[in-house]
Amino acid sequence: MNSATVKRFIAVALAPSLILYSLFVFVPVIWSAYYSLFNWSGIGQAAFIGLQNYKELLSDSIFWHSLGNNVIFVLASVLGQVPLALLLAIILYKSNALQRFLRAAVFMPMVLSTVVIGLIWNYVYHPQIGILNFLLDALNLSALKMEWLSDPDIAIFSLIPPLIWSFVGLYLIIFISALQNIPGELDDAAKIDGAKGFTKLFKITLPMIWGTIQVALILCIAGSLKSFDLVYIMTRGGPAHATELLATYMYNATFSTFRYGYGSTISTAIVIISLLLIGTSQWLTSRRK
Amino acid sequence: MFKAAKLGLVGILIVVLLAACGSNSSSDGSTNKSTEKITLTIWNNWSGQDAKAVAMRKILEDFQSENPNITLEIEALATDGLKTRLRTAAAADEMPDLFVMWPGAMTKEFVQGDLLQPINEFLDQNAEWKNNFIENALVDFTVEDNIYSVPMNLAPSSLLYYNEDLFKQYNVKVPTTWDELLQAVDTFNANNIIPIALGNKANWVAQSTTFSTIGDRVTGTEWFLKAVDQSGASFTDPEFIEALKLYQELGEAKAYQEGFNSIDENQMLQLYTQGKAAMVINGGWAVAGLVNTASEEILNATNITILPTVDGGKGAAKTTAGVVGTGLGVNKKLSGAKKDAAMKLFYALAGPDGQKATLESSTLISYNLELDPSKANPLFIKLTELMKETKIVPVYDSKLSSAAVEAINNGLQELLLGGDPEDIAKRIQAAQAGAVN
Repeated sequence: MNSATVKRFIAVALAPSLILYSLFVFVPVIWSAYYSLFNWSGIGQAAFIGLQNYKELLSDSIFWHSLGNNVIFVLASVLGQVPLALLLAIILYKSNALQRFLRAAVFMPMVLSTVVIGLIWNYVYHPQIGILNFLLDALNLSALKMEWLSDPDIAIFSLIPPLIWSFVGLYLIIFISALQNIPGELDDAAKIDGAKGFTKLFKITLPMIWGTIQVALILCIAGSLKSFDLVYIMTRGGPAHATELLATYMYNATFSTFRYGYGSTISTAIVIISLLLIGTSQWLTSRRK
Repeated sequence: MFKAAKLGLVGILIVVLLAACGSNSSSDGSTNKSTEKITLTIWNNWSGQDAKAVAMRKILEDFQSENPNITLEIEALATDGLKTRLRTAAAADEMPDLFVMWPGAMTKEFVQGDLLQPINEFLDQNAEWKNNFIENALVDFTVEDNIYSVPMNLAPSSLLYYNEDLFKQYNVKVPTTWDELLQAVDTFNANNIIPIALGNKANWVAQSTTFSTIGDRVTGTEWFLKAVDQSGASFTDPEFIEALKLYQELGEAKAYQEGFNSIDENQMLQLYTQGKAAMVINGGWAVAGLVNTASEEILNATNITILPTVDGGKGAAKTTAGVVGTGLGVNKKLSGAKKDAAMKLFYALAGPDGQKATLESSTLISYNLELDPSKANPLFIKLTELMKETKIVPVYDSKLSSAAVEAINNGLQELLLGGDPEDIAKRIQAAQAGAVN
């Protein structure tokens, strides 16, 4: 095969997914950007209002608050999920029965639907029959009891444990497979050189899986930027917008307030913010090399 | 060997998945093949286990078996889901043939979007039926002399259900004034009983079941309708701020249980049916649920009244917020045999027989029909007696624009957590002004 036929083969092989991708991702993004220039209730005529929606967005305190909540989610995932998963992976990467059991236990929430996770944690936090408040009572820590999901000051932080719990299994599996791919010779060489414990961890293990950690971080940032389901099920963005994320705010503006134009404006803003963040992270990782 | 078994397993999985995907499309295809057969789509909110939903599903089933040439494609959704779904379908211009539709704001919007067809002619052909509706029942379904539906129930949205046993046990007077309500709250709190159960996670509950009535008591209906039209009244007027402050008092007195913003309407009723709460404020529709789910003991102890009066308020006293109930919207695109079939189903559901079935499922109707006391649940008889002497004033979310409804719903969550009434009033005003102009 010469290089021209190879190229043609690659083009033909890529075409189906490229067409699907542009049809279902690219085109809607463009349409949504177009709709964001209108004032439209979904029924009847849409009125063209130029950049009015964007002007409103910039001075919309709920939008900025939602963005802040998204940042909290990103930080909680990056600083919570990834290190925790890494720690668990280092402890659990060998395969005896107990480790296999623990691995399955940590991974289990991944196979549960988010609806189930949301309902479980709603009962953990339930103001009258919640397990968490009972537990605090039993430990004589009644002073720490709180209205976990209905106090606007703490509700967003109450959502973090379910968020970490539900995704830590994914990163655990990714890290374990990376750890198992470290060649055994390196282990032997380290042993001969007398590297043990932390020295081995920081000089050999972590550098060997650094690429995987980077991928996990990007997955983590992208995942928490688009989180929606957990919050929608547990609090619906409430009380009084306290736990609103960009995605839930977009949903509420579109389907509760029926301002399709403004909802599209928020979606477009999400696209721009995501592109900026991903661009930055790519720039940072390429610098490392 | 092991590998072959694994491959086989994967193969089976793939076949199952493909079969699951395929079954939908094949059933779609078969219904459209024969020409004389008619397919009607109907979307409704009769998905629950309450008596009304059960009765309506029975009518649909009977209709299906009596009319083998008509295939019903029924989609039952929870109320919130149905409202969202209808709007989305409206935006895509893909409305079902018949659908449960709310009077007032929603009907008006659908008419403006050219999605509905009027049923005047059909009503005139059945004059006896038409004339049997209660006074003003069709007003909220009428736009410019065209009638688009009839109410299939009557929905006072704001009634006080209370547990008489608990009131007797702690020697509390059933509140008829605002001060008595606050006193009752204090007494129950002192005895570790939840005074009023509230589940405001889906944030319409506080607005629809409680604040609409309190607002009307303070401001009067006339002011509210002016503020809705934004002609001569504004939500930043002192009377509205006073209403917000009054409602905030209830929150400050700890009238609601802890965490009321994180549980939903069903869990709210559960608190009451478990005897943990002395009162719950909910619509007339709650009776159909209570008679099916509450224990005998709680049911017998339950009584119903209207919310207490407010001293110095401009509104009438013996009123509750509410709307004539939901009706059925008829798709603009229907014609010929398909329309005839749709109207037949319409009549089965909303005609005299449908109204009777609704009434017998412990649900109020906007249609003149005597209740047979031997068949009805005692709690429902209490409700019908109460409604004979109670007038209905407009519930906020049936009149306000969707943007203002969202603003007030979120505003009330904030208000009960100690938010500033004037800020909240400003936001509601801005939302309504933006939608009207």
